[in-house]
Amino acid sequence: MTTATLSTRLLALLFAAVVAIIYLPIVVMAIFSFSSSRFQTLPFSDGTAEWYVRVFTDGQYSEGFLNSVLLASAVAVTATAIGFACAYSLVNARIPGKMLITLFVLAPLAVPLLLVGISLRLYFAKLGIQPSLWLVWIGQVLYVLPLAVLNLRNRIAQIPKSHEEAAWALGASPLRAIADVVLPACRFALLATLILTFTFAFDEFVIAYFLTNFSITLPIKIWTTLVTGFDPTINALGTMVFLFSMTLGIAAQALFMRKDVR
Amino acid sequence: MKTASGSPVSNPWAGILPAILLMAGFFAVPILYTIGLSFSSDAHQGFTLDNYRTFFAEARLVDALSRTLILGLSVVVVSSLIAFPAAYFLAFVVAPAWRAVCLFVLVAPFWTSFTIRAFSWQLVLSDTGVIAWLAGEITGLTVSLGFLYTMAASIFGLSLFSIMLITLMIYSVMITIDRRLIEANTVLGGSGWSAFREVILPLSLPGWMIGAVLTFIIAVGDYAVPALLGGGFKPVLAQVMLSVLKGTYDLPTAATFASILVLLILAACTPLLLVVRSVRLQG
Repeated sequence: MTTATLSTRLLALLFAAVVAIIYLPIVVMAIFSFSSSRFQTLPFSDGTAEWYVRVFTDGQYSEGFLNSVLLASAVAVTATAIGFACAYSLVNARIPGKMLITLFVLAPLAVPLLLVGISLRLYFAKLGIQPSLWLVWIGQVLYVLPLAVLNLRNRIAQIPKSHEEAAWALGASPLRAIADVVLPACRFALLATLILTFTFAFDEFVIAYFLTNFSITLPIKIWTTLVTGFDPTINALGTMVFLFSMTLGIAAQALFMRKDVR
Repeated sequence: MKTASGSPVSNPWAGILPAILLMAGFFAVPILYTIGLSFSSDAHQGFTLDNYRTFFAEARLVDALSRTLILGLSVVVVSSLIAFPAAYFLAFVVAPAWRAVCLFVLVAPFWTSFTIRAFSWQLVLSDTGVIAWLAGEITGLTVSLGFLYTMAASIFGLSLFSIMLITLMIYSVMITIDRRLIEANTVLGGSGWSAFREVILPLSLPGWMIGAVLTFIIAVGDYAVPALLGGGFKPVLAQVMLSVLKGTYDLPTAATFASILVLLILAACTPLLLVVRSVRLQG
């Protein structure tokens, strides 16, 4: 039928257009990052790697990167650990109100980060606690915990209960059975969760902006550079951050797709 | 104590407790505290509505609130209009072998920094950006788009993000639709369009609803896109809130803005309760 193929083609065209529009500005940014002009003018002047060199020699960018890596690592480990315990219990324990508890733990997904950031800032101010990267750590764990719980819950639910029961029958304590049976059975999902939560924390800006005064994470440095007048190094940095996050995201996705339930 | 599945776990709460304590102590309590703070003022002792009176008496702030609402609703409408055909394409048109690739390509950019993606649009949309330059080359005139730093640019930037979200939500429901229902509709003389209208659309509405509500919440709470693409002359609530917090540091006022945002979100969530109820009734 010609009408069917026509509408099929239109739908395919629409989808391709959406994807093209999503990627277009990132490609433009990558191209600009090699332009030697200080201003974003077209057509291009000569190609240069100057902005990339600048990113690596500017101390503030390296400081921000280091802070972001440390912070995101701490957030990823904490959220994955708490998320695993929570997901395991949600799958296995028969307790009343499980649905409500799940909704409560997932609630930050439905609340803007702005609100998480501002309410923590006001609350810590009331408690007399000064803004610092420690507070960002707590705030970002809240932000990525729902992701960890969702990912791990799905994987833990796939592990046949009989494996754990066999360990109990052989005299293993509940914790021992988790360590020897459950953890190995979802090791790829755990690794993927670590990477994914790291990626989200690494790129998180709003909570970090609210809960620090003088510490610099990479997204904060990017933001302050953006709003205090344009600097072409942002193109180079943005391109690198994009590739960095994409690589991590793809790695996490590949790990999730591995069947690690034996 | 043994749980129903036979686990010897002595206390089933043990695993959940850290997450609940974290959520209660650093999520629920701070938000409740913020709402409480919005009912206090330095001038008054005890409960007062002064902050809200001040808010609604000031045209600049009421404008910011209505802009926020318009932004949120526009983003939902624009992204839904594109997400429905896109999800239909993923669920019913594209060959299953290509489906995973299409989904991946759609989702992948969202792992990376929101700020950077918002900024990269400046390069394309500004008056000296790629589009203006191309248009100028083609027409030979100096083209000024006048698009960057407008509400339309904010709607555009947020819609791109939301298209992915709503598409995924609709797709996840569409993919579970029993194909025999569609065949039945065709056998009974329905066209492809009628299959969509009579079967697919009503069955995908719960997925759309969740996506739309989440989209609205993200749009009314976002700061990066309105600041980078919408500009500072016509601020939304998030921008005024931040200027208070980084400027005058008037905490009860900031708390009031935040509480109004909480109200908006709660209002947006009510359609979800209806979905949950209808699912319960069906199940």
